Formats: sequence, structure tokens, C-alpha cells
Amino acid sequence: MKRSIFILTLLVGLLAFSMVAMAATPQRVAYIINGGLGDQSFYDSGQAGIEKIEEEYGIKTTTIECNFDPAKYQQSLQSAIQWNADVIFVISYGFEDLLKQYADMYPDKIFVNIDTVVTNSQETITSIDFIEEEGAFMSGIVAGIVTKNTSIPGVNAKKVIGAVGGDEDPVVNAFIYGYEQGAKYIDPEIEVKTIYAGTWTDPVKGKQAANQLYSQGADIVFQIASLTGAGVLEAAAENDLYAIGVDSNQNGIQPGHVVTSDLKNVGDAIYNVYQTIVEGSFKQGEVLRYGLAEGGVGLAIDEHTRAILSQEILDRVNKIREEVMAGKIEIKSYE
Amino acid sequence: MKLLIELIRSTMLAATPILLASLGGTYTYYANIFNIAMEGMMLIGAFFAVLGSYLSGSWLIGLLAGVGGGLLAALIFVFFAVYMKTDEFVTGIALNMFALGGTTYLLRQIFSVKGAFTSSKIIGIPSWEIPIIDQIPVLGKLLSGYPFIVYLALLLAILVEIHIYKTKFGLRLRATGEDDQTVDSVGINSDQIKSISIILSGVLSGLGGVFLSLGYVTLFAENMSNGRGWIALAVIILTRGRPLGLLMMSLLFGFFDGLGLTLQGTMIPSQITQMVPYLATLVALYFYSKEKRPKEEKPNESLAV
Repeated sequence: MKRSIFILTLLVGLLAFSMVAMAATPQRVAYIINGGLGDQSFYDSGQAGIEKIEEEYGIKTTTIECNFDPAKYQQSLQSAIQWNADVIFVISYGFEDLLKQYADMYPDKIFVNIDTVVTNSQETITSIDFIEEEGAFMSGIVAGIVTKNTSIPGVNAKKVIGAVGGDEDPVVNAFIYGYEQGAKYIDPEIEVKTIYAGTWTDPVKGKQAANQLYSQGADIVFQIASLTGAGVLEAAAENDLYAIGVDSNQNGIQPGHVVTSDLKNVGDAIYNVYQTIVEGSFKQGEVLRYGLAEGGVGLAIDEHTRAILSQEILDRVNKIREEVMAGKIEIKSYE
Repeated sequence: MKLLIELIRSTMLAATPILLASLGGTYTYYANIFNIAMEGMMLIGAFFAVLGSYLSGSWLIGLLAGVGGGLLAALIFVFFAVYMKTDEFVTGIALNMFALGGTTYLLRQIFSVKGAFTSSKIIGIPSWEIPIIDQIPVLGKLLSGYPFIVYLALLLAILVEIHIYKTKFGLRLRATGEDDQTVDSVGINSDQIKSISIILSGVLSGLGGVFLSLGYVTLFAENMSNGRGWIALAVIILTRGRPLGLLMMSLLFGFFDGLGLTLQGTMIPSQITQMVPYLATLVALYFYSKEKRPKEEKPNESLAV
């Protein structure tokens, strides 16, 4: 009996404490990822956003890594709650249902789910959804321009471009769908050849796939294949041809051969959402779509790009980018 | 035409790591050791090859480091399976998991990257342009310009065949596999034979790993052996360890591996084409066992799988 009274007091105390915390601007931000930091890409980009928040607003943040271990998914949410986070950014691949449960249990907490759309019954989860098609569309624009421009060294007369996907899934297909639209926007006759390597972790297979595409006349190959893609970039260098990177800026991995990279700016999205929370314009339960105009996706143009593409080409790419942002070019989304 | 050449080239390249690992594994097969650790040995070899090449700037040091890594893994296997008499299967599983976790850990600690490690400082194994032949239009493209380990692997297939079937060591190895107590009773140390066979499997699997990370590509990625050690095991069991059979099976597998990707250009769904290499292996198994069945006197079935 004494024990239960003690627990009750503790709970009331905790509750009171959390009420106090909620009253002010969010002071504690948690970042939960299903994978691990250090991927130089997706998760790290999010972490950069979290660090920026911590620096600029002087608040406390914590990052919880699950390292793809399903046993840690629930723990991670639980410890974020116990850590008394006000805002929880979460990349919830593989534990969407747990996230829904927790969001229903703690409707006062702000849950922001990244990269997918998750809706709980009380509709308190906010989702940041990246429009992959728009970034991939711009990759397709660049690939289309490259394959048509035979003045670029190594480019043949055939209007063929390639793509290597890790495996056939909705996200990869969305990428390829956008990529095709971009290429066809440049020239409807451009043929896009796609190979799914069937694995995300085998650069050897990626190289094999890319070599096949190059041997079929592709001048440029877009990789959407995580570690498998490292082999694609290498094949580009070995064939003295071109590739497009994905998620992070991979232009420097094989200098002179990676024309550009299709970025996903997770960090900027996190920072922007936090800003809206502080300013008070944030609405719980919304689906925030981050495309080209919002800066959620876009191409990495740097000195490696300029070494391959002329200013004239870059101006053309930029003009198309502005038209997409202004809504003048319609990009269909993959269903 | 270019695609066909590419397909044949990729056959050679995809077959080489499987061939090397299976040549290694065939020694343990004849010694009647259930060795499933080729996968791990290969991965360790691939990692140390990149490490050695990166630190020294020499592919030769990289190659030696990779082979050394395979050797190290083999010594661990020898210590437990031969001298501590642990279960070979469990030891193999432990070694494979250790290889995956260990190389991933070292990758993060030494190079501070996760996933894949690429660097211009990793020096790959040079390709060998065969003089004269590389001038012939199509043939030159087909035969010349592979990393030299490809040629080495082909040569090794013949050497291993001779080593197992035509030498004193080969005889003792096979005798150990048949009945190690009898071998001991005539004064030959069967544990020693077993240890040598494991060490050879480690060295050859390590070389397969070197080919993956310095030959086919010049980078290291977590788990980059990606099941090739297991395929090598399947190839050994399929061909009952005959080295020239291993060569044929590896080439066949390599061919269908590449063909699977090519077929995606047609209307066949990628999920089906990804099964192609494995379906081809099954079909090959059928014909192989059908052909072998009448002359069953070769008593190499002792590996219980």
C-alpha cells in the first residue's frame, strides 16, 4: 500500500513537472532514429538540424539511435518520454505502430515523424514528407542534358540514361518515376534503363549493374542504392562516364565523374519545423511536404559539377528548377 | 554486342571470388570439416586488404594483409574446432558473426565512417593486359584486362585439382576425411592435416576477399562479401569438391548472376530475375546428381549436410 502511494506521488510529481515544462517554449528536443548516426547522409543530416536548434535556441537536445534493432524501438520512445522531451523528432521506419500508440498516450507531446506519413487516431503526429519525385526530376533533367550533349567527353550519340535501384520499393520507384519525367522533359525520346540490384549493401553488384548500363549506351547512371551505389560511382569512374549520387553530396567521391547528387535536407526540415513551433504557427497533425520549393530536396551543385558542366548548362538547370518551384512544371507523384 | 562482352566479362569477375572461396573450402570438405566460415574469412580478407592498401599505398601490401586476415580467421577456427574440439558448425557461425561485427567495428573506429569506405588512397590490384591478345578486337576485350587475381584463380583451380588428387598431401587429406583415427594409427597426425586444410581455406577465402575489395571494386563496405561465401559452400557441395567442377559451377553462377540483371531490361519483374542465379544452381544440381548417380563408388559423401 505504502509502495503504491509512493508511486502515485511520484507520478503526480512527474506530471506536474512536465506541465511546467510544457508551459514554456519547448526546452527539450529528442531525435529518435531507427538506424545509426555516421551514415554521412540521411541520419547525419537530421542530426545537423538538431545541433543547429541546440546552438541557436540554447535548449537541451538528445539523440537516441536504435541501430536497426527492433528491440530498441519501444525503449527509444519510452526513454524520450522519460527524458521529458517536449518535441520528439522521429524517423520511425519499422515502428510506425509503436509511434501511433505513444502519440495517443501522450497527446501533449509534439511528435514529428520524418520521411513517411504516420497518422494516429488522435491525429497528433505531424509528418515531414519529402517529395522524392521533385529531386529526382532535377536529376533526370541533368542526366537528360548530359546524354544529349556529345561535347561532354565520353558522351555517345545514343539517348540512353540509366538508374540503379537497391530494390524495388515505393521510395525507389518514386525516385525513378521522377527521374524519368525529368529526362523526358528534356527529350521525350530519351530511354531510361533501370536495374534493381536486389541488395542495398553490395557495391560489387552495383558496379556490375552499372557496367551493364554503360555497355548498353548509357552515359550517366543515377544510383538510389545506398552502399550498393558506391559501386555504381566507381563504375562511372572506370568507364570514364558519369553518375549521379543520392541523399548526401557524393560529388567528391569520384571527382570528375559524379555530376551532381540528389539531396534530402532532413536537417533543414527539422530546423524549420522547430522554428514554427517556437513562433506558434505550428499545427499538430499536419503533413508537411518538403519539395524543391521548401528546400527539402535539391541538387548538390559544387566545383565538381562545374568541372563537368558548363555555366550555360547550369543556368538551364537552374531555370527549370525555378519553373518547378513556381509550379509551372507539373511533376506527377508516384502512387 | 557490347552488352554480350560486358556479360562475359562480368561472368569472369563475379565467378572469381566464389571460385577462390570454394577452392579454399574444398580442402576442408575433403578433410571432412564442416566449414561454413568462408563468408567470414572472405569479409575479414576484404577488410584487411583495404586497410593494408590504404595505409601502405601499395596493393601488394594490401593483398598480403588481406590474405593474412583470412589466415588469422583460419587460425581462430583451427584453435577452436581442431584443438578445443568445439562444434564446427557453431564455430563457423561464431566466426561469421565475429567477422561482420568486427570489420564493421574496425571500419568505424579506424576510418570513422559507417557503411562504405572509399578513398583515392586505396590502391587497387592492377589489371593485366595480355600482350598481343589485347590487340585482337573482340577476343582481347574478353580475355584481357582483368585484375590479375582472375587469372591466378583459374590457375589455382588446376593446381588445387593436382594438389588434392595427385600428391601425397592430397591422399592424406582425403584419408583424413574418410577416417581420421585410421590416419592417426599409421602415424600421420590427422589434426595437423585438418589444420592445414583450414588454413588453406582461410588463405584462399581471404584472397577472394582481396579480389572483392581491391579487384572488382576498390572500397570496403559493411558485409560486402554478401553471401558469396555461402554460395561457395553450395558450389562445393554441388560438385562434391572437384576443383574443376568448382570452376565450371562458379562460372555458371557468375554468368547467371549477370544475366539476372540483364533480364530486367525485358518485361520480367526484377523479383523474378533476381532468382535466376539460384534457380540455375538448382537446375544444375539436378543434372549433376542425375549424371553422378550411377557411378557412386567415389566415397566423398562423408560430409553430412
